[in-house]
Amino acid sequence: MNSLVEMRNITKRFPGVTALSGVNFDVQPGEVHILLGENGAGKSTLMKMLSGAYEPSEGIMVANGKEFPRFTPRISQENGISIIYQELSVINEISIQENIFVGKLLVKSFAGVKIVDNETMKKKTEEVLAKIGLKKSPNTPVGQLSISEKQMVEIAKAVAFDAKVIIMDEPTSSLTGEEINHLFGIIKRLKEQGKGIVFISHKLEEVLAIGDRVTILKDGQYMGTYPISEMNHDKLVKLMVGREIKGTYLQKPDYDYGDEVIFEVKGLTRKDKYVENISFQLKRGEILGFSGLVGAGRTELMEAIYGVAPKSAGEIILNGRKLHIKQPYDALFAGIALVTENRRETGFSPFFSIKQNLIQAKYLKESRFGGMVGLIKPKMEETIALEQQKAMQIKCSSLNQIITELSGGNQQKVILGRWMASSPKVIIFDEPTKGIDVGTKSEIYKLMRKLTEEGIGVLVVSSELPELLSTCDRIIVFNEGKSHGEFLSVEASEEELVLAATTSQKTEE
Amino acid sequence: MKKKTFNEYWSSYSTIVILILMVTVFSILKPKAFLSANNYVKIIEQSAITILLACGEFFGIILGGIDLSVSSVMALSGVVCAKLMVAGWPPVLAVLVGIILFGAVAGAINGTLINATNLPPFIITLGTQSIFRGFTYILSDARSVSGISTGFTKFVGGKIGGVVPMPIVISLIVALVLIFFTMKTRAGRNIYALGGNAISAYYAGITTKRHQLLCFVISGICASLAGMVNIARLGSAEPNAGTGYETYAIAAVIIGGTSFFGGQGVIWKVVIGGLIIGVINNGLNMVGLSSYYQQIAMGVLIIAAVTLDRFFGASKNK
Repeated sequence: MNSLVEMRNITKRFPGVTALSGVNFDVQPGEVHILLGENGAGKSTLMKMLSGAYEPSEGIMVANGKEFPRFTPRISQENGISIIYQELSVINEISIQENIFVGKLLVKSFAGVKIVDNETMKKKTEEVLAKIGLKKSPNTPVGQLSISEKQMVEIAKAVAFDAKVIIMDEPTSSLTGEEINHLFGIIKRLKEQGKGIVFISHKLEEVLAIGDRVTILKDGQYMGTYPISEMNHDKLVKLMVGREIKGTYLQKPDYDYGDEVIFEVKGLTRKDKYVENISFQLKRGEILGFSGLVGAGRTELMEAIYGVAPKSAGEIILNGRKLHIKQPYDALFAGIALVTENRRETGFSPFFSIKQNLIQAKYLKESRFGGMVGLIKPKMEETIALEQQKAMQIKCSSLNQIITELSGGNQQKVILGRWMASSPKVIIFDEPTKGIDVGTKSEIYKLMRKLTEEGIGVLVVSSELPELLSTCDRIIVFNEGKSHGEFLSVEASEEELVLAATTSQKTEE
Repeated sequence: MKKKTFNEYWSSYSTIVILILMVTVFSILKPKAFLSANNYVKIIEQSAITILLACGEFFGIILGGIDLSVSSVMALSGVVCAKLMVAGWPPVLAVLVGIILFGAVAGAINGTLINATNLPPFIITLGTQSIFRGFTYILSDARSVSGISTGFTKFVGGKIGGVVPMPIVISLIVALVLIFFTMKTRAGRNIYALGGNAISAYYAGITTKRHQLLCFVISGICASLAGMVNIARLGSAEPNAGTGYETYAIAAVIIGGTSFFGGQGVIWKVVIGGLIIGVINNGLNMVGLSSYYQQIAMGVLIIAAVTLDRFFGASKNK
């Protein structure tokens, strides 16, 4: 066995917690090795030891047959280990070529002076781009590229400097179906070139489709390494969460939700025309889903309802009352909550503790004059925080922990808890399970159902069709800012939804 | 329960450590002059204006912004207040209108402009710094305004029981009120959220513009209170008063461990930061170094304090 890298019996302890214990991991040339585990299972910690950011408490690191007590960033680099993080690190303001060679500019001698060698870099960039199949000029500013293309630039960067092991941390989380297929094509090509790929993902379908072997972590414990050929969906879930999650169809098989409309949108149009003339009704007890491509107007509609983006026409009616929402505060006050797609950018307050985040919405809603009046009530804060921690099953060592110390799934639960504490009447979920592990996902789905039973309206925007089909009662498909079909989940198929989302409405007419 | 690390201790107590260190150094160098009770009173008295300005500046910086206009607001409100008193207004009324109301209006102008234009506070307050200073000169005809009520100067500029300087009492009361405001009120909590991440704060339902406006109003009031203390101590209102003081205010806030990127910091440390600047200036004076050296010392300290925070700070942006 000539592994590219190997980690033997790795244990990592942080003050007070053991993040990893007895993990074995290795990467062979020409394989895709999946690293699977719930949020907080220790995947990032393990990868940080490969990149040299962390030192193992116990265990041996091996690169190219040489043993080390730990990797330094330098050892990691010298052995061709390259990580592509979920949050991409490309620089938008400069070109593809400059991004690839940033910090490692090639130079040539010109009249005794070293100057930047643009020709060679351009040639090399073209080569690399051809290798991974990105049809762009090396001079294209990265800011003009789509997310998937930016990701390819990152891959190109790794390939250009002869990476042998490429680690991809949830590379598909912000890609569309077609882009994912393209990424898989690149991964296959890299495999053929003898590179070792480490692929971190939550999406089991992908794992089964692209992986050769899989290593599973559960709460820092090593659950073993298996060939994918021996695995299936249920086995993976069982190893990962230690319990089988049954087919999670949560809605009523026959759509009978009566006539009581709790929430209604009439003819909503946005000033910037990203959304045109959208109307729908939400009945008591049902979950309404919104499908479509990214940019088709789903998120854009929710932004208009929630008051983040101005609307030019249309009415929003909650329990028979017309709402006037100009900013999120008005929405919160009326009882509409939005769980956004990007937790870090639009979700939580980064320097706040779990407790401070949990109480935020309730404090705002309870006080007058734009949420400014009123005192901090430590006792109430504690009570509410404990209540929500229990209800949402937030895993933390203390409610005073800073929220950024939590895993993505737990952060999402804190945001949910924050809204629940403010007793909302309608909750909008935008990609509610993005970057969240299977176990937490099903908890969130169950919670949505529970909310509807309490009479709270639930709207879900999602790019994951199985998620929509299994949790929503009805699904509206968006296409180019307009509604393009409405389906009952129990009758609809993924194919129908994709067709409605991708067929141009103009050609139909 | 996990033990506190050195880094966490450092980030909690670094400002106090610096202050003690400074006092120790000067006490060793000039034991007689520096250690006297009189001198302590003097340091504290001299720090009063810096502390007042810094308490206001804190609200610019906690948002991730800045307020460069504090020095001009200080001069302008001083002149207005003095003019009112010279015109025969009772001092209490002159203070209420010339200081509190005027400072609030000046701050509201900053806040409204920032809200309306969405420009960085740096640019808006750089502009208003110049505008307010210009008005100060026009209003005072570029001359010092004398003839302030002596009752006022004796009370605001005097000492309680002949010992405790009134200026420091005023700044400590202001600091205490603001400590209460930032730690115990919802608006205070919201301001931290806003400084930490303005977009997520907006999405969470915080009325960001209103809070931003409030921050600059507080800054304006603090600056004009500094102006009040200043004219009481001098006995007249100088149109060029406080020129360059915004640097001291910003320095005190930064030495006090407030994150320049917003969202992190506490007022009591800013007060210590103001005292540190007072100790440096006074101590170097005692040692016999000119004010030029004081400027160098302050510059070094700003850079050192922030650098140390970067290295040892526990909860810096990860």
